[in-house]
Amino acid sequence: MTTIPGMGLVRGMGLTLTRFFQPKATIMWPEQQADVAPKFRGRLQLLHDEYGTLKCETCFQCAQACPVECIDMGGMDTRGRFHVHWGPAETYGERRDESATRRSGRPVADPTFTRFGAIDLSAVDEILEAHDSDPRALLPMLEEIQAAYGYLPVAALKQLSRKSGAWYATVYGAATSYRHLRLEPPTLTAAAPAGEGHKAAEAGFLAALDAALIGKAGA
Amino acid sequence: MNRSASPASLIGRVVIPLLLIALVVGPVAVVFLATVIGPWVVGVVNSNLGILRFVLAIAGVLLFSIPAAFIIIYMELKVIAYMNLRVGPNRVLPAGAAHSVVAGLKVLTKEDFTPNGADRIVFTWSPVLVFLTAVMTFMVVPFGPGLVGAPLNIGLLYLFAVGGMSVVGLLLAGWSSFNKYSLLGGLRSAAQVVSYEIPLTLSVVGLILLAGTLSIDSIGRQQAGWVWDWFVFRQPLGALIFFIAGVAEANRTPFDLTEADSEIVAGFATEYSGMRFGFLFFAEYVNVFIMSALIVTMFFGAWNAPVDVNWLLRLVGVGPLSINLDPGQLGSSLMAAAAVVPLLATLILAAPVYLLRRHRPAWQALLAGFLLLNLLVLGVIGLAAYMDWDWVAGLVWFMLKSFVFVFVFVWMRATFPRVRIDQLMGFAWKWLLPAALLNLFVTAFAIVLIKSAGIN
Repeated sequence: MTTIPGMGLVRGMGLTLTRFFQPKATIMWPEQQADVAPKFRGRLQLLHDEYGTLKCETCFQCAQACPVECIDMGGMDTRGRFHVHWGPAETYGERRDESATRRSGRPVADPTFTRFGAIDLSAVDEILEAHDSDPRALLPMLEEIQAAYGYLPVAALKQLSRKSGAWYATVYGAATSYRHLRLEPPTLTAAAPAGEGHKAAEAGFLAALDAALIGKAGA
Repeated sequence: MNRSASPASLIGRVVIPLLLIALVVGPVAVVFLATVIGPWVVGVVNSNLGILRFVLAIAGVLLFSIPAAFIIIYMELKVIAYMNLRVGPNRVLPAGAAHSVVAGLKVLTKEDFTPNGADRIVFTWSPVLVFLTAVMTFMVVPFGPGLVGAPLNIGLLYLFAVGGMSVVGLLLAGWSSFNKYSLLGGLRSAAQVVSYEIPLTLSVVGLILLAGTLSIDSIGRQQAGWVWDWFVFRQPLGALIFFIAGVAEANRTPFDLTEADSEIVAGFATEYSGMRFGFLFFAEYVNVFIMSALIVTMFFGAWNAPVDVNWLLRLVGVGPLSINLDPGQLGSSLMAAAAVVPLLATLILAAPVYLLRRHRPAWQALLAGFLLLNLLVLGVIGLAAYMDWDWVAGLVWFMLKSFVFVFVFVWMRATFPRVRIDQLMGFAWKWLLPAALLNLFVTAFAIVLIKSAGIN
């Protein structure tokens, strides 16, 4: 079938000709209006960014808008500072306050602030040393980093970019284009959940918050 | 108040003197026209019949090219929309039928801008040149037996000579715009059109050998009869090459690199706006029609019907149909019929409409009856014209076949992706040209073989 030259052209022409006679998808708005369910809100989707982390900012707008109130969500906010949950207005007001501060450009006074995904970079530095920080040896370096960590942590890629002088886009492109390189730990169960390192600080914060609230309630 | 001394009113002062002048001048003018100017005009016309015919043909061709282009533009919008599962233009007239005409009016009203540094004269005249070459090609296209602007005996040569001139127009348009993108676009289109000109011309040489003539009219005449008398069955490879090269010549998908509307700005037409751009745009669609018309003329039986009507009629046992009706013989009964028949027929045709649509007012049924009568009369007249006049039948078939090929062009545009420039050139030089040469040699060899074998 495919060995006959020009067969693809004929098949394509056939496809468009069948389309020509098919019913049309156009809705003649505003004369006609599509029959939309009253609570239709479009397509819901959880998006991931290039690091594979959820793009969800835990802003709860979806939960707020959910017509049947079926969204129940909770977790750490993007920077791993607060444990938040959709429900009574417990942390919502506080989060909005904090985000206003952040947007104004002032540093957010928060003792629990740490960079996302910080790791021990000594192995990366050793590998870079061995390859003389040569960006031309990008692939072997990436392979060795993966051998050292089991996967390619974002922090390691940043460090590689900074030390070798290769653009981060190049490093990231190489890391994502090869099938044998992965940006996530090989097994999800083996990896610590996100924000594990901040649990202690968070517990301390929650305890302090509770104490403050109880103190207020008591007073 | 100082009243005017003249007792005459406005009518008395203006109309009566004019009347007097007319009474004196009129007869003199009539006599003068009849004795001096009339014979002079007749003499000039008689001695310049060729020129008059040429001017009439040019005017007709120019007038024809505009509605043809409008129809093709509308067809393109609508057909591609249907193939995309859309509805397409639907606002101007029912089904958006006047969409392209209104778009043309819009183009007319737009500012006609000439960029700084452009070569003004060339910039102004190159769209005219492009359009003119397209229209001039029409002169030798036979729309029916005898329906040809200039029945040249070297029609094909004229066709390729004039058709090749459009490259000059495109190059000039690109060059005079004072814009490197326009220049690049012009050069690209020149390279493409020149490359495809060669297989286009070579693919027809085999056909010329078969037909033994360069006259397009004669080529059309040789394909009379049944479907299998068409040249496409004797020159299939030639027809295919001509079609592909014609698509490239008309700058259509998948070879529309020069003005790939989704990728580059507009190629050589980047700096053009208003009606100058309209000319370039029009020329493209006129070219599409011309390419379809040429394919039909040379390979798909020109104006001939796919069936031999006379043979069929003889099979049925009827001689060649013709209507011999002398209205003069009918005399006063003709007058009576002319007065009564339309009225009666309207009523008769309105009756079923009235009976079927009782809830509508009666005048609507009458109107429907009248329209039906008009349709019927037009149909009868059309049928009579088709039967009696060769050129009407030829025109009908020619237009039908041409628009089938226009549809194929649009269909291809809706289907195929664009080729790359190196693929385009490689295809022309490495595939089409050898194939055209092969076609030519095989045809020549076959003709020599048949002649030497003495088979006719």
